[in-house]
Amino acid sequence: MTPIAGGVALNLAFGFSILTIIVLFLYTRYGDERLFLTGQRLALGVSFFVFLATFILSYQLLISNFDIDYVARYTSLETPFIYKISALWAGQSGSLLFWLFILSIYATITILQNQSKHHTLMPWVIICLAIIQLFFLVLTNFITNPFMPTEAEFIVTNGNGLNPLLQNVTMAIHPPTLYLGYVGFSVPFAFAISALINKDTSPLWIQSIRRWTLVAWLFLSSGIILGGWWAYQELGWGGYWAWDPVENASFMPWLTATAFLHSIIIQEKKDMLRIWNMVLIILTFTLCIFGTFLTRSGVMSSVHSFTASSLGPIFLVFVFLILIVSFSIMYINRNDLKSKKRMESFTSRESGFLFNNLVFVVMCFSVFWGTLFPVISEAVRGTKITVGPPFFNQINIPIGLILLALTGIGPLLAWRKTGKQSLIKNFTFPILSGLIGASFFIFIGLKGTVVISFSLCVFVLATISKEFARGILARTKKFNETIITAFYRMISKNRSRYGGYIVHVGIVFMFVGFTGHAFDKEKEFSLKVGETDHVAGYEFTLLKMSESERPNHYAWISDIRVTDNKGAFVTNLYPEKRVYFHKNPDVNRRQPHSELDIYSTLNQDIYSIFSAVDTENSIAFIKIMVNPLVRWVWIGGYILVIGTMIALWPRKD
Amino acid sequence: MDFIRDYSLVLIFFILPIIFVLQPLLLDRIKNVDSKIDLSSLKRKKRLLYRQIKELEMEFDIGNVNKDDFEIARKDLKIEVSEVIATLNKK
Amino acid sequence: MNSNNKFMLMISGLVTIVIFWIGWVSSNPKDEKAMATFISVEDLINDKINKRTKLGGLVKNGSILISKTNYLDCSFILQEGAVELNVKYDRTRPDLFKDGAEVIVTGLYLDGVFYADELQTKCASKYEGDLRDESSYNLTEIEI
Repeated sequence: MTPIAGGVALNLAFGFSILTIIVLFLYTRYGDERLFLTGQRLALGVSFFVFLATFILSYQLLISNFDIDYVARYTSLETPFIYKISALWAGQSGSLLFWLFILSIYATITILQNQSKHHTLMPWVIICLAIIQLFFLVLTNFITNPFMPTEAEFIVTNGNGLNPLLQNVTMAIHPPTLYLGYVGFSVPFAFAISALINKDTSPLWIQSIRRWTLVAWLFLSSGIILGGWWAYQELGWGGYWAWDPVENASFMPWLTATAFLHSIIIQEKKDMLRIWNMVLIILTFTLCIFGTFLTRSGVMSSVHSFTASSLGPIFLVFVFLILIVSFSIMYINRNDLKSKKRMESFTSRESGFLFNNLVFVVMCFSVFWGTLFPVISEAVRGTKITVGPPFFNQINIPIGLILLALTGIGPLLAWRKTGKQSLIKNFTFPILSGLIGASFFIFIGLKGTVVISFSLCVFVLATISKEFARGILARTKKFNETIITAFYRMISKNRSRYGGYIVHVGIVFMFVGFTGHAFDKEKEFSLKVGETDHVAGYEFTLLKMSESERPNHYAWISDIRVTDNKGAFVTNLYPEKRVYFHKNPDVNRRQPHSELDIYSTLNQDIYSIFSAVDTENSIAFIKIMVNPLVRWVWIGGYILVIGTMIALWPRKD
Repeated sequence: MDFIRDYSLVLIFFILPIIFVLQPLLLDRIKNVDSKIDLSSLKRKKRLLYRQIKELEMEFDIGNVNKDDFEIARKDLKIEVSEVIATLNKK
Repeated sequence: MNSNNKFMLMISGLVTIVIFWIGWVSSNPKDEKAMATFISVEDLINDKINKRTKLGGLVKNGSILISKTNYLDCSFILQEGAVELNVKYDRTRPDLFKDGAEVIVTGLYLDGVFYADELQTKCASKYEGDLRDESSYNLTEIEI
């Protein structure tokens, strides 16, 4: 009974979403307030039915009702509880329903929050959100319905289950976090379109969406970092970013969203860059949908995937529709959008923000170019040329360094124009610090881009410290506060600004981590018990090899002692080689898996992989990677999150 | 039991939502919405302008805005706030 | 010219430089491993391409041979439809590499043998359904 209810809920949501759009559109023409209230309630109804459908599907997953195809495919009786829940977003149709679910949460919050605000904007905001919901409802109702019954001539007693290799916590939280980000940009997008249609150029709505954008950005950033963390910890290739199409799909909207976050500050303060901001939010939202498309359609991964999906073309059409409609509305209203203010000087804060924006967009374009290179090259030359990390790195490292430099330069500039005296006063300390840093790095033997990168990190940190110092000084002079009180009050009264500076600190730390990548070393070798090999100044001795039979896998465990080149003990590493389904009579169904062990310090990570075992001769094949400074990436990530939360912390007023 | 469940499902899925959605249409024509709405958005604008003035003062203290720009901008903001307050007092 | 035009000029200039930069890197990547042409095995054999290429196919059942002297060294036969190709690979093999696995190899073709420096496997098993989400991370990529 209830599976049918799930399908019915989706049908009703579909119907209600169409009605929402019609009724609210009628309101915009006739102005009858009752139509607005009904339209609003219809929109809430759409969300209600989506929630119902989602809860019903979750319930079916939990009770393992294998009469539903989705449940049978992605869970089994043995699947642990948390992975029965995460199965909700594991498969195609479920993840689309989940996207819709999150969108409906956001839509509900938006409607309820704005019952007495933005009255002119809200009808079109709700219409936009309803159109997006409608798109996903079309997909889940008619194309990939999660409530499809299992097609089998026999009673399915147990489902396929979730591959144990995919059963780890990060795997479970990474997709929802990303989705909370992707979907979150729908709200600022809806507001922007509504403001366009209503010719509303006041900064009031910008102010409202700034929080939304920041929340979505926080989730997107966390999702991306979590993905890198998971790849590093679980996948065993020793890296956290491979410039894979799916990774790039999440990075591109992040770049434009970050640009948008910066340039709306300018629009709020100076009422400039209106057209640019509109373009940015449209691009960001489009890239989110495009990213969902890239990940699901199999177009880019035609190199890897072998299942054609009818979803691809539909998403692509939706992307084009969004672009065409949004830019047409922009074009029609372009005269109202144009701001009267002009950029005056290159050494102004405004121009600093503008340049930083340009760099973000340029990087986004270059990632887009590299990701779609196979498609472009096939269209132009007839051969599919794929590009790998060296390509992306060659293009993006210089751009990234310029961005890093701008992060330091921006805060030192004044609004409208920075006088020569101020320039000297502001830039001396940071530039001097950077140069001293550079000399030090060259002195200890570093060269090239590495020196530039580390010196810029010093430069930016110097700038940020200077900013904090300036703020504290201003308060102690004006209000006679102690340094600690001034520090606390300064942050508390300017949460966006100083939260933002803390985020920048996090980014600098991440750059430190990224730069460490230049010094990665690896070696693959074989060891018998008692033998030793060395990598990057460390010695690795295989002390013993043991075996263990566990509930769902068999494991060979290696005990490796690590010492440094002076013989001092560093750590023990216990990488394992496992075989899952080891009792399965079909040899090809047994799944080998290398469980890594990582010794992590601020200086470097020693990363050990037990790649293969020669059981006849008791030989272990080990791969060791020494990855300097990786920990700084994760530390930077935490600081980024803390900084964002400070910026988001609500004020009493 | 089944019969109770089926009826409650129909209630939740069809009857209640339709009532919820149609109810506003049955009210008398609503007047005075505009003035209520304008009031709250004016109040928000006032708060926003106050905050902008404070931020401007902070930027000046730090040295991000030069004196002339500061005076002009502050004057403009103060004029805007006075207008908003005047309109609010009329209501 | 007024300041706004100066800005527009500067921005257009920067954008042009960037486009040229990207175009230049696309035509002359610094690292030979930056790009690979993805073609079919048949085309590779017929056209004897000696640029870096990427091929996809299946591991022929029973064709995996592992060197007795160096456990890392292996060779196997890559099947794409009816066409077969000898492949040699000498790095850590991904966990999912076995008979019948779908693989993608990248490397150079020389004298009838394909010398791969990258080997990726795709789990061609029951977890297909949705390929480019988490389950596609069954793809174990060995980085250079």
